[in-house]
Amino acid sequence: MLRAVLVLWSAAYAAYAQNSSPQELFQRGMAAQQAGEYDRAVRDYRALVVQYPNVFEIRSNLGASLAGEGHYSEAIAEYQRALALKSNPRVRLNLALAYYKTGDIQKATETLERVHQEAQDDQQAITLLADCYLRLGKNKQVITLLAPYEQSQPDNRPFIYLLGTALVRDGQTDKGQVIIDKILRDGDSAESRLLMGTAKYMVADFSGARDDFAKAVQLNPKLPDAFAWYGMALLSTGDQAGAKKAFEKELAGDPNNFVANLHLGAQLRQDQDYPAALKYLQHALELRTGDPAVRFQIASVKMSQNRLPEAEHELEALVKDSPQFIEAHVALATLYFRQKRKADGERERAIFAKLNAERQAQNEVAVKPAQ
Amino acid sequence: MRLRLFCVVLLVVVVHAREERECATCHAPESREHPRTSMARAMESASDCEILRAHSVLSFENAGYSYRIERHGEQSIYTVARNEQSVTVPIRWAFGLGRAGQTYVFEKDGKMYESRVSFYQQIDRLDLTLGAAGAPPKNLLEAAGRLMTNEDSRCFSCHATDAVHDTKLTLHRMTAGIQCERCHGGGEAHVRGFQQGQTVAMKSLRGLSAEDMSNFCGQCHRTWAEIAGDGITGIANIRFQPYRLTNSKCYDSDDARIRCTACHDPHRELETAAGVYDTKCLACHAGGKRAALSCKVATKDCVTCHMPKLELPGSHHQFTDHQIRVVRANAPYPN
Repeated sequence: MLRAVLVLWSAAYAAYAQNSSPQELFQRGMAAQQAGEYDRAVRDYRALVVQYPNVFEIRSNLGASLAGEGHYSEAIAEYQRALALKSNPRVRLNLALAYYKTGDIQKATETLERVHQEAQDDQQAITLLADCYLRLGKNKQVITLLAPYEQSQPDNRPFIYLLGTALVRDGQTDKGQVIIDKILRDGDSAESRLLMGTAKYMVADFSGARDDFAKAVQLNPKLPDAFAWYGMALLSTGDQAGAKKAFEKELAGDPNNFVANLHLGAQLRQDQDYPAALKYLQHALELRTGDPAVRFQIASVKMSQNRLPEAEHELEALVKDSPQFIEAHVALATLYFRQKRKADGERERAIFAKLNAERQAQNEVAVKPAQ
Repeated sequence: MRLRLFCVVLLVVVVHAREERECATCHAPESREHPRTSMARAMESASDCEILRAHSVLSFENAGYSYRIERHGEQSIYTVARNEQSVTVPIRWAFGLGRAGQTYVFEKDGKMYESRVSFYQQIDRLDLTLGAAGAPPKNLLEAAGRLMTNEDSRCFSCHATDAVHDTKLTLHRMTAGIQCERCHGGGEAHVRGFQQGQTVAMKSLRGLSAEDMSNFCGQCHRTWAEIAGDGITGIANIRFQPYRLTNSKCYDSDDARIRCTACHDPHRELETAAGVYDTKCLACHAGGKRAALSCKVATKDCVTCHMPKLELPGSHHQFTDHQIRVVRANAPYPN
């Protein structure tokens, strides 16, 4: 019955669309789009695009309407078709936003970099690009991007906040503190608490950081990253159960949060829930392609599952890409010994010894034998 | 609460006694000395704890908090106070025998806590638990102890037998201390099989290589991989013997002469006389292994030079460094 109604309705709509002029259809689509009635807009634009497949405006508006409906994959395809017809920074920004929404931060970043080249003063693009860099852990790029605006736009709160976060995460806590002070002038806020907590976390004051993060999530439970950092501080102060809940809350609000995916995956590995751990870790790897910490966790899960050849493949590739990654050498040595490959195991242990000696030299503590 | 505690203790004592007796029936030499070893007594209930029994009052002060453990009959009561406020709880378990610290576990509001103070034999009094100095308490409960999480199930797993299943604490099945089944696995089928004239083998540890045994003992004493991976450098890693041993130049993953049990019999108490270990060193260094040189300085008490005893700050104990080496004067602590 329902199917019959739908068929009749579609046929009636097609006839109606055929009776409208292209201009009427386009204007009606635009009106629906502006009114937020994206399903109607999509229908009108789709009817038009059949007849006019190479009109930039129809493709880009169809993409925007699809994005409005939350159909980001289809929106991306339409934006790409539009951009193939004509280069346009606004549509490229929309394409970046669609990538961002699907969690493909890498592609969003690449797209935004191009937008920034084309339209250097586009503040929305700059904000989004800084946020993407931050999500990818590229703190220095955020600083390079936003530092020029610190003097020229001292009241641009998103800029100041992103710059402060990047400085603190980059270990430049003194410069970060100046930014934190600016934000604090506006009174206690979730943002300032998150920044202060991050600064404390970076200097290993984990319990102080935990208290600030707790306040941040209390003031604004929807503040991006707040629960993820709170989880990390809880982990560092020994509250694994609390940390797990915090990561889950972050992911409930933002399933594409890299830190929460990574740490929840690592915790589930420790809890020996390997399938669940892999689910989060693989998503983290999608968010940051090739991230060594995630690759290491995935290899560790496979070792725990006794999938030794796969773990070996992952770890060998990892130490090749990141030769200073001590934990990866340790895991690889352990794996080789489990496989009874003594010579390979000893080689990896020798690499560990060398790297560890270098680390030791940095934190040298002479201990005299007891008398 | 008290009745529940009594029942758990009673159950533990009964189960423990039965299991030990059953193993001793056939394995008399191993069973004879084992109950007196430090491993077998790695955990004691507060009522059995010799240190708590011997000290009617223990007290300590730190960061404005006063600590007091008082003996009342079979119970030891732990009180932490500051100004007008205090926390008073009975101690449930004592972990360790005090040589490198004895730490207490208590329960409050259904949660387990590790006491912030421990007893140290060398000073014969309480001091801060290792690691507590770096975490100043923010309130009375934090001053009393550290909340134990699921991660801390390892404490029970390494100080007791049958304490953890599928990463979850199973106190109702637990036997205090490291008993036969902690290393050799469940013996029920083995005993039943024997009674029925069938051979059901227990887990054999006899044939383990040095590497495999290091990993086996390292479940509690920490494996090389765990310490190396966690990046615990400096004197803090002296407690982790499998890690230190593996870093020794003479360590050979295949050679049984360097595995843990080559020097230590877990069924007997630790030998502390240096000379006892000479034959173990000479198994390689008296021509038993081509690459192993003979010592030009001395022919006995090898470990006194090559495995120095070093104090871990805060532990009031000198640990034997298991990284066997030629110790150079003023050389920094390796790894």
